[in-house]
Amino acid sequence: MKRRELIQWLVATAGLHRLDSLAPQELLALGRHVHRRAAAGRALDAHALQTVTVAAERIIPATDTPGATDAGVSAFIDKMLADWHTPAERDRFLAGLPELDVRCRARAGKDFVDCAEADQVVVLMALDDESRSTSSGEHWFARLKYLTVFGYCTSEAGMRALGLFPLPWRYDGCAPVSTH
Amino acid sequence: MAVLQSARTDFDAIVVGSGMTGGWAAKELTELGLRTLVLEAGRPIVPEQDYVEHTPPWDMPFRGLGDRRAIAARQSTQRNSVSFDELSHVFWTDDVDNPYTTPADRPFHWFRARQVGGKSIIWGRQVYRWSDLDFEANLRDGIAVDWPIRYADIAPWYDHVDRFIGVSGQAEGLAHLPDGQFLPPMDLNCVEQHVRQRMHDRFGRERILTIGRVANLTTPHLGRAPCHYCGPCHRGCITRSYFSSVNATLPAARATGRLTLRPFSIVRGLIYDARSNRITGVRIVDAQTRAEREYTGKIVFLCASALESARILLNSRVGNSSDQVGRNVMDHIKWGGGTGQFDGWSDRREIGDRPNGIYVPRFRNVASRHPDFIRGYGFQGAADRPGWRSALRAPGIGAAFKQRIHDLGPWSMSFWGFGEMLPSADNRATIHQTLVDKWGIPSLHIDCRWSENDLAIHRDMNVTAAELLETAGAKNIEHPNGPSTPGGTNHEMGTARMGRDPKTSVLNGWNQSWDVPNLFVTDGAAMTSSGCQNPSLTYMALTARACHHAVDLLKRHEL
Repeated sequence: MKRRELIQWLVATAGLHRLDSLAPQELLALGRHVHRRAAAGRALDAHALQTVTVAAERIIPATDTPGATDAGVSAFIDKMLADWHTPAERDRFLAGLPELDVRCRARAGKDFVDCAEADQVVVLMALDDESRSTSSGEHWFARLKYLTVFGYCTSEAGMRALGLFPLPWRYDGCAPVSTH
Repeated sequence: MAVLQSARTDFDAIVVGSGMTGGWAAKELTELGLRTLVLEAGRPIVPEQDYVEHTPPWDMPFRGLGDRRAIAARQSTQRNSVSFDELSHVFWTDDVDNPYTTPADRPFHWFRARQVGGKSIIWGRQVYRWSDLDFEANLRDGIAVDWPIRYADIAPWYDHVDRFIGVSGQAEGLAHLPDGQFLPPMDLNCVEQHVRQRMHDRFGRERILTIGRVANLTTPHLGRAPCHYCGPCHRGCITRSYFSSVNATLPAARATGRLTLRPFSIVRGLIYDARSNRITGVRIVDAQTRAEREYTGKIVFLCASALESARILLNSRVGNSSDQVGRNVMDHIKWGGGTGQFDGWSDRREIGDRPNGIYVPRFRNVASRHPDFIRGYGFQGAADRPGWRSALRAPGIGAAFKQRIHDLGPWSMSFWGFGEMLPSADNRATIHQTLVDKWGIPSLHIDCRWSENDLAIHRDMNVTAAELLETAGAKNIEHPNGPSTPGGTNHEMGTARMGRDPKTSVLNGWNQSWDVPNLFVTDGAAMTSSGCQNPSLTYMALTARACHHAVDLLKRHEL
C-alpha cells in the first residue's frame, strides 16, 4: 500500500481515530512499514531490498568512483532472484539474508540497516570469512557478493569506472596499464 | 546469358540453405548467369535490426547471463555452444521444435542455426587451408576412402574465396598449412610475442605460434569496413567487418538481379524423376503458414549443413546407393590443452577486444611418426589478463576489495587443441522411426562416439600444451576438463562423403552425386576426412569450385 492510499483509507474508514490509540513507537513502525512497502522489489520485500542495498554498498563502496548504490546493484539482484535463480536458490538466499539483522541486533541492538557502518562491516567481514569455509554448497553470502560484483561490473557506472566503457574501437596488445 | 535456352523450370538453380556454403553457391551461380532460388528454413535477417553486438550489458535483462529458465525450456542443447549467449541465442534453433535423439550413453551436440545467414553469423571465423598432408591422409593410413582431390585441385579456389571474404593472417611458409591471400595480420599481445619467441628458441620451425587466420578485416575490403575490436562478433557486425553470407555473399548475389531468396522455407524433400534420373525440384513447407509448395530447377545444391543435408537426402530416398549417406559423422575433439600463468608484464594490458587468438599449426605426425596415434591437432588460444571476473569469488569487502576488482590480475596463456577425428561408418545419423519436428518432417537419430585414436590425440594435447607453457616459463599450469562431447565443436561433417568410387562414396570429386547428376552437396557433408583445421574455408572453396563445374556441365548440356 502506498502512503497516499493509506491516508485515503484512514480518512474513508474513520480509521484515523484508531491512530490515537497507538504509541509513538508504534506510529513510527507503521510509517516505516508503509514506506518500505512502497519500495519493495519483486523477490525482496522493502526491508530485504534496503538490507541488500546497504550490504552491497559496504562491499563496493563509493570512493573516488561510484559504488554499488550508484550502480543500481540491488535492483539487479532483485531481478536475478525473481527471474533467473531457481526457487531453491532464491529461498536459500532469502532464508540467509535475515542473518544480517540477527547478528547486528546481537551486536548493537539494531537491525542491520540501522547499525553503525563499523558494525555493519564487522558483520559482513565475518560472513565473508564463513562463506569461504563452508562445504555444504554455496553460502547465501557468497551469492550476495557474487551478484554484487557482477551487477556492479556490468552496470554503466561500473564499466565506466573500470575503463571498459566506452569501447576503445582499436586494439593494442601491449598498452601501458594506465591507458584507457 | 544464353547458357540455358529452356525456361521450363521455375529457376535455373535451387540452393538449399543460405549460410556459409549456400551464400557462396548463390553468389557463384548468379554471377555465372543462373536464375537462382535460395531456400532458407529460418527467418530473414535485417542487420540494422537484428545485429546487437553493441548492446551494452546493462541493457540486457540478465547482463549477458541469459534468460536461464527460457533457455532451459527451449534451448537446452544449443546453449552448450561457445557462441551462445543472452543476445546470440536468437541465432540458434529451438530444441523443442527441432528434436533429435541419441543413445542415452552417447550424447551428441547438434548446434543448429535457422535464419538467413545460418551459422555464418555465429561462426568462429578461423580459416585454415588444408594441404596434401590432409588430402592424402586416408590413402596413406588405409582409413575409409581416398579423397578424390588434392591440394592443387582446390588451391585456386582457396585463393578465390580468400580474396572475397578477406582473411587477416601472417604468412609462415609451412607446407602443411599453406599461406593464403592475407590481409595484414592482427597483433600478438606482449605475452603471446614472448611465447612465440621461446617456442622458436626451443622448437625452431617444428612448433610455431602465429596469429590466428581470421575472416575479420584489418583493412577496408570490397566495401566492407575494417574491424573495430568491439568483441562479440557472434551477435552480428553492423560494419560487416567479418565475413558472413549476410555481410558479403548474399549481397553480391542480390546485385546480379538473379537471386530469389525465400526465407521460412523448410525443405521437406527433393523431387526425383526416375525416368530422367534427375532431381526436378524441391518440396517445401512454409515455416509460418504450413503451406506446401514445389519449386522446379535444373540443378540443386544442398548447402543445409552436414546433418540437415543428410537428413534431406535420407528423407527423400535419393543419392544413397552407396549406403554412405548419414555415415562417417565427424567433428573435432577439443577441451584438451592447458593454461598457465606468467609473472611480469604487470604494467601492460590489452586495449580493445581482439576477435582472434593465436594458432599453433599441427606438429604431430608431420615430420615424424607418433607411437600412440595417427593424424594430429592444432592449438588455438590466447594470452590475457582476467580483469574483474577473478574478483567474483575473491575475499574481502570495502575499498580494498573494490581496488581488487580494478586490478587486472596476472597474465595467463591458454592453448586449446582441436583434434582430427577419424571417419567411421558406425558414427551414423539415421532417420528416426517415429520422431518428427514441428513441421512433421522425420527427425534424426545420431549415434557418434570418439575412437581410441581420437582420445589418444586428446590426451596428447595436455602433454604438449604443458611443454609449450613450461618452455615459455609459465607456472600453475591447469588443463581443461575434456574431452568435448561429439558435435560440440560445431564442425560436424562427413555425412555424404566425396570419393573415387560410387560404391563407397556419395559424391564425386566435384561434389556431384554419383547417383543423380544434377544434385550437388557442398556443405560439410562432403568431407572425406576431418583434418584438424577449422573447416568452413574448405567448404566454401569446394562450393565455389562445384558451382563453376556445374555451370560448365550445363553449358555443355551434360546435366
